Amino acid sequence: MNFELSDEQRMIQQNVERFVEDNYDLNTRVALSSKSPGFSTEYWQSMAELGWLGLPFEEEDGGFGGNQIDVLVVMEQFGRGLVLEPYLASIVMGGGALKRGGSDALKSEMLPGVIEGTLQLAFAYAEMQSRFDLDDVMTSARREDENFILNGQKSMVQNAETADQIVVTARTSGGQIGQQGITLFLIAADAEGLTRDNFPTVDGLRASEITLENVSVGAERILGKVDQGFNILQSVANDAMLALGAEAVGAMEVLYKDTVDYTQQREQFDHPLSEFQVLQHRMVDMFMEYEQCKSLLYRATMETIQDPEAAQRTIHALMHLIGKSGLFIGENAVQLHGGMGMTEELRIGHYFKRLLAIDATFGNADYHLQKFTTFS
Amino acid sequence: MDIELSTEDLAFKAEVKEFFHDNQMKKGEDYFSWRSRWFEKAKEKGGWDVPKWPLEFGGPGWTPTQHYIWEQETSRATLPFDLPFGTSMLAPILMGYGNKEQQDRFLPDIRARKVNWCQGYSETGAGSDLANLKTKAELSEDGTYYTVNGSKIWTTAAHMADWIFCLTRTDDSGIKQKGITFLLFPMKQEGIEVTPIITLGGSHTVNTVHFTDVKVPVENRIGEEGKGWTYAKGLLQHERTGLAGLSRSLVALESLKENARSVVRGNGTLMDDPGYKAKIAELEIDLMASEYTELRCLASASAGAELGPESSILKLKGTEIQQRIQKLIVEASGIYSPAWGDQSVGLPFAKGGTAGYLSSRAYTIFGGASEVQRDVIAKNVLGLTKGSTK
Ligand SMILES: Cc1cc2nc3c(=O)[nH]c(=O)nc-3n(C[C@H](O)[C@H](O)[C@H](O)COP(=O)(O)OP(=O)(O)OC[C@H]3O[C@@H](n4cnc5c(N)ncnc54)[C@H](O)[C@@H]3O)c2cc1C
Repeated sequence: MNFELSDEQRMIQQNVERFVEDNYDLNTRVALSSKSPGFSTEYWQSMAELGWLGLPFEEEDGGFGGNQIDVLVVMEQFGRGLVLEPYLASIVMGGGALKRGGSDALKSEMLPGVIEGTLQLAFAYAEMQSRFDLDDVMTSARREDENFILNGQKSMVQNAETADQIVVTARTSGGQIGQQGITLFLIAADAEGLTRDNFPTVDGLRASEITLENVSVGAERILGKVDQGFNILQSVANDAMLALGAEAVGAMEVLYKDTVDYTQQREQFDHPLSEFQVLQHRMVDMFMEYEQCKSLLYRATMETIQDPEAAQRTIHALMHLIGKSGLFIGENAVQLHGGMGMTEELRIGHYFKRLLAIDATFGNADYHLQKFTTFS
Repeated sequence: MDIELSTEDLAFKAEVKEFFHDNQMKKGEDYFSWRSRWFEKAKEKGGWDVPKWPLEFGGPGWTPTQHYIWEQETSRATLPFDLPFGTSMLAPILMGYGNKEQQDRFLPDIRARKVNWCQGYSETGAGSDLANLKTKAELSEDGTYYTVNGSKIWTTAAHMADWIFCLTRTDDSGIKQKGITFLLFPMKQEGIEVTPIITLGGSHTVNTVHFTDVKVPVENRIGEEGKGWTYAKGLLQHERTGLAGLSRSLVALESLKENARSVVRGNGTLMDDPGYKAKIAELEIDLMASEYTELRCLASASAGAELGPESSILKLKGTEIQQRIQKLIVEASGIYSPAWGDQSVGLPFAKGGTAGYLSSRAYTIFGGASEVQRDVIAKNVLGLTKGSTK
């Protein structure tokens, strides 16, 4: 057992940390977020040049052969800076599906661009009725000669607005709910019949509702096998949850530390707020929740690397705790800042909103608790 | 003790129901003309436009039971919006400490909802420790007016207000609580600058307000110079009971259930989800208890007892209930809760729900932050003398 990062990982951590410190103050973030494309294409290019986009890809695909720990290292620092660039959508999710299910031809066509940052991906898995259930898919794909014709709607798709290619889950057989019969398609964002309705999200990111109307996709653009896409979907979701967990832990760290700082500076009743015991204890609780999330994050990440299937239960545990503790920490950071905490001017509100969105991405605390109980 | 409604109470209940029914907004009617008409009709009923005002000031003089019935029925009806600053917050001060002339001058317009008021208490250095306020009011040599300089922060609705009731410092030689003076003055005048503060819910409700040499005639001072703290403290208790918002929570709980029923889960809806259902039930139980805590407060108040520190319980419980309701709306919205901006995406209640949740975080901050409220109960109710607030 060893919790030390490798030298290489420590270097990445330091680089990302420095990058975030140098480039991501609140004003910059707000400015980037408020206009299209909602992040900095320049930063994205730098991230590619620094090698971060290639981390989780095999060396033969042009990547660095890293694993979930490398992604954790990056995402935790991204969480501390509330980074807007689409690492999760393009690299972890879109790229994760492509590397797992893409044919050699498809991979060599797409992955170099993904790793170089010139081609962006999105991952469309949720639907209006599905809520957080990955196996609830109504979008249909009907075979017509060598092609599939897709019809349906995808919801809350991150980075769809700027993506060049979108991975879409669709049903090729079976009823609305069920793992069997789900197929993953890689669709060009400008494909005929695909429309995107883009909108901002509470955390300063963007998402889209996607409508598919008789979109024709060639069979060669299927990721994995027909009807057998669920395993890839689940693995991608698991990687995404670990990445979100790391991002959330980074955000929690900023929230509790900012609160500790603020209460030492702010005086009321002729004392710094930090001298009031009830506030001290609250901050201790925030700190403990953060540490517990970090522990479970390490646990879930290492178990996933060792045995992904057995780790499923721990991933639900992680996301339960991340959801619950994230909101606890966010709510109390605001509470202890008083009126100042309610303003857009301080960064804590922005971190709180990101944690709120993370809790609604692959399932909220309640959802994961229920999932957890299904494993005995 | 007896929960049975008397024949009179039953008749009252029917009368209230009928009133709400008869005065609903008509199709195509202008909102503001309906609002004015509603308050006029309520006034004609004998003070129903100002239910909490005492009889001698034109209130209805209801029994606690009648207040309870009213609250219950308001939660089932749609009433015109009403900001608390005039009718619930300033009016009791005017009645308690204002002179006859001030009462005659201000109460009628407050009652008619003609003049919008805002509350100028908090400052950057004076939040929970309100007595630390520094906005300066200097009496002119001839003793006819004050000159006000300084800034207020978090002033709700200052950008829409005609008048402000404001705590100012006229003396800083003694303890903080002494030397505070309660002034009323118009907002739309030279020397007052209002700057918006955008809060997490994305909306503009609070402001900073700067005063530069604002002249306020002494006739606009409530009570004596230097005694403003005593007057304001009484008002804070009124503010707190008002903030519990129980009848609003009753309405919100119902619509929460309705929304949850519209979220399909498997063969049922979110309301069939055991975890979600349990949270709603817990919420409802707390709300049921709080309703009766409020009723007990009302009863002791109408028996002549001062509105005491028990009112802090209501503020704490009531605001926490409101926050839990907001959180459950976010949970019901599922994947759609992060949707933001102008357009509506997915579930119709999702977007407003998240903004509402974020805004609701302020409920445990304003009107006495929860930690400070607990301190007040510890000191004043439990008699634990060494609190951290003064
Ligand atoms: C949306 C909104 C609307 C508002 N509207 C108005 C308005 O219309 N008019 C007006 O005058 N004001 C208004 N306020 C201001 C409000 O009354 C103050 O925010 C409130 O009094 C808290 O003060 P503060 O923000 O300075 O927080 P602080 O006093 O700095 O408190 C920060 C934290 O420290 C805690 N704390 C402080 N003292 C102690 C202690 N002794 N022991 C333990 N914990 C302590 C508090 O509980 C809180 O958690 C509004 C505020 C908000 C957010």
